[in-house]
Amino acid sequence: MSNIISKILGFFSGAGFKNYLKSLKYSLYMILHPFDGSWDLVHEKRGTMAAAHTIVILTLLTNIWDTRFANFMVNHTRWSEVNIIMKLASILVPLFIWVLANWCLTTLFDGKGRFKDIYMATAYSFTPYVLIGIPMIFVSNVVTLEESVFYTYFNVFALIWCVFLILCAMMMIHDYGLAGGLLSTIASVAGMAVIMFIILLFFSLIGDAIAYFVSIYKEVALRMG
Amino acid sequence: MKKRIATILLLICLVMTSIPTAYAGEDDWYTYTYNFWGDAVASPDAYSVERVLYGRSFGDEVGVFLSPESLFVIDDIMFVVDTKNNRIVELQWTEGEFELIRIINKVHVSVDKKDELLIGDEVVVTMLQPGDVFVRAIDKETREKVYGKYLGPEYIPPKKETTEPATTDEDASEGDTEDADSSAGTSDSEDADDASDDGDGATDGEGDDGDGATDGDDGEDTPAPVQVKDVENVIKKDLNRDYDIFIADTKNHRIIHCDYELNVIDVLDNPKDETLAENYEFLPSKFVVDEAFRYYVQATNINAGLMEFTKDGTFTGYIGASPVTVSFIQRIWRKIQTKAQRARTKQYVPTEYNNVSMDSNGFLYVTTGSLTDAEIAVGNGKPVRKLNSMGTDILIRNGNFYPIGDIHPGNSKSISGASAFVDVVTFENETYACLDKTRGKIFVYDFQGNLLYAFGKPGMNEGCFQNPSALVKLNEETIAVLDRFCGTITIFVMSDYGKLVNEALSLYRVGLYDESADIWREVLKYNGNCELAYVGIGRSLLRQGEYKKAMDNFEIVRDSRNYSKAYKYYREQVVEENIVWFIVILAALIIVPKLIRKIIRVRKEIREA
Repeated sequence: MSNIISKILGFFSGAGFKNYLKSLKYSLYMILHPFDGSWDLVHEKRGTMAAAHTIVILTLLTNIWDTRFANFMVNHTRWSEVNIIMKLASILVPLFIWVLANWCLTTLFDGKGRFKDIYMATAYSFTPYVLIGIPMIFVSNVVTLEESVFYTYFNVFALIWCVFLILCAMMMIHDYGLAGGLLSTIASVAGMAVIMFIILLFFSLIGDAIAYFVSIYKEVALRMG
Repeated sequence: MKKRIATILLLICLVMTSIPTAYAGEDDWYTYTYNFWGDAVASPDAYSVERVLYGRSFGDEVGVFLSPESLFVIDDIMFVVDTKNNRIVELQWTEGEFELIRIINKVHVSVDKKDELLIGDEVVVTMLQPGDVFVRAIDKETREKVYGKYLGPEYIPPKKETTEPATTDEDASEGDTEDADSSAGTSDSEDADDASDDGDGATDGEGDDGDGATDGDDGEDTPAPVQVKDVENVIKKDLNRDYDIFIADTKNHRIIHCDYELNVIDVLDNPKDETLAENYEFLPSKFVVDEAFRYYVQATNINAGLMEFTKDGTFTGYIGASPVTVSFIQRIWRKIQTKAQRARTKQYVPTEYNNVSMDSNGFLYVTTGSLTDAEIAVGNGKPVRKLNSMGTDILIRNGNFYPIGDIHPGNSKSISGASAFVDVVTFENETYACLDKTRGKIFVYDFQGNLLYAFGKPGMNEGCFQNPSALVKLNEETIAVLDRFCGTITIFVMSDYGKLVNEALSLYRVGLYDESADIWREVLKYNGNCELAYVGIGRSLLRQGEYKKAMDNFEIVRDSRNYSKAYKYYREQVVEENIVWFIVILAALIIVPKLIRKIIRVRKEIREA
């Protein structure tokens, strides 16, 4: 027993965990210094994957908490229509496709960032959403209808901040200029659309193929019967 | 292994995409209302069918109603405008029983006044497809003062041998009903045959935009309407009432004004105005007469609003024209179009009304059925309006949804499109009921524009309608719906639930909020879906200072505005009660870090010293 406790304590006081905390704390620096921050994040190895995962998980949690705890005046959630899996997927899938599309495009156009770097930078860019989103959930519960615009404005502000951070991060980790960064981002969004389209096409084709075989089976079964 | 997992995941995805989503439509319940989300939720029946009346229910001489267009109720008398039979049937309603009083086929005119009824060079005392009737109580002195003398020796139109109905029962005097029966009967059956010949002839009115009387505009194969001549009124019961009767004799282009004995007082016809075309055909289909004896006429082919006439029949102008709304895209599109294209595109004209009624305060309620679904969906189209004397729409629309009938029309059972209101009736507590022709439903709204309940279905069953044309109230708790296609009058009486809702609203309107809340609590026992009840209770609690409870009630129905109001007070209360704690915590937050810093510094100094 004491062995386990000492192990756990050891983990929390070990160098790995200290590094993790430091990298997590670095997100605060990065959102305030988007250019230097994202350059160092990747090139100076200031960020860790563990911290990136943490921020993504916090983002997901913020999103869910917002649906659950934000006041009904600003929160038009129909509980009968909430699917937690879909809710998680609606963040994770675009994130994954974004990283994929961006990586695909930037490898073709001299991007310096690796898949990991893109993911990490994107994840770190979500920090303002978490930092502003969680307090806003509390705020939404102590305001009247007229004051609830604060909730809306601050959340919009957080999203704009996130987008700005992603843009900066893309410029820095791929070592692009402003035009290159913007272009690559727009192209990545287009790439996301293409990937989504291919996925849908794939599924619908498979669906059709299955339907075809099912109908053949039905036909045969009817004839035999 | 990885491949296998991937395959299984893929399969799961495929299966998930093929699961259909269930959707509860408006057609699932007879009576329903909308919740915050716009879902139709079940409601107890607010009205139930008391009986269905056919023409024959009143005796054989009435026969079958043919495309009846309108109903009118005054005191205990109900008038049925039996349009295609060119007559008006008058019934008396006593202790829940209906009794035929008379069948009005023609009016009487004095020799002096006979020129008023001239059509061409002939004095026409009969009606041709009357569209509406309006009756008001007036005593003899007032009538004489306002309209002057009108009685005199009666004008007897010369008999013509060539006229159509062979059974010219000249001796069918008022008391002798048997002959009259047969004549009425035969003419009825002829007309009925006409209707049955062309099958669904009567329903072809459904397609057009509900311009009242001209529905089924004498179909392609039915012969043009002929003036029915030499028919007598059938009088079953002599009543002596001080009423003025106004009859919209649509196809004769006039409104006949007569006393209760049907002696013509004057006639409104041929409006003269520069805004009207030279060959303008006046087709009054629905109208009301206000306290100042002014006429407000909804005429077919007039889209500039209601026509207003003075008591002597002078056309004074239009009232309540709806502004033309041209969307941004339409405007741009018009800019690009060539002149020829522009000439050929649809004109943006104001919507035409299809019915008008007056509430007890003299406000006009109008309905229109010629709006496009898109207009209604975005709230531009206002199918029911309340007009003040300036013609401005002053209907309050504070509900979660506009009073437009079905908010998700859908396309089930071969009926598509938005609700098309054809009639509206107002009640004492300023609730109003709208009749939807598209789906044979009645929508009842309160004075704030909240839907109280909607009921009805398309169909042939009791309580269902094929092509409803008119809606009237017999009293505050009884309404009657006229079906043009079936020729039936359906009498609805209010259920206990409906009465409770009504009472709660009435109490609320006069400011008895707490009493009203008690009734709303009763309502909730019947119907937990009644969102208005929660609001009513919440408001009363708010007034009593029970802010937290009020908030809970408002939260159930997601009424942000009232919730916010209650919350404001609640927050104030909480802060006031706990102000000490707030100050303590605030102070602690400021002082404690300072203290700690100081202690550390002191310790350091001690250690260094």
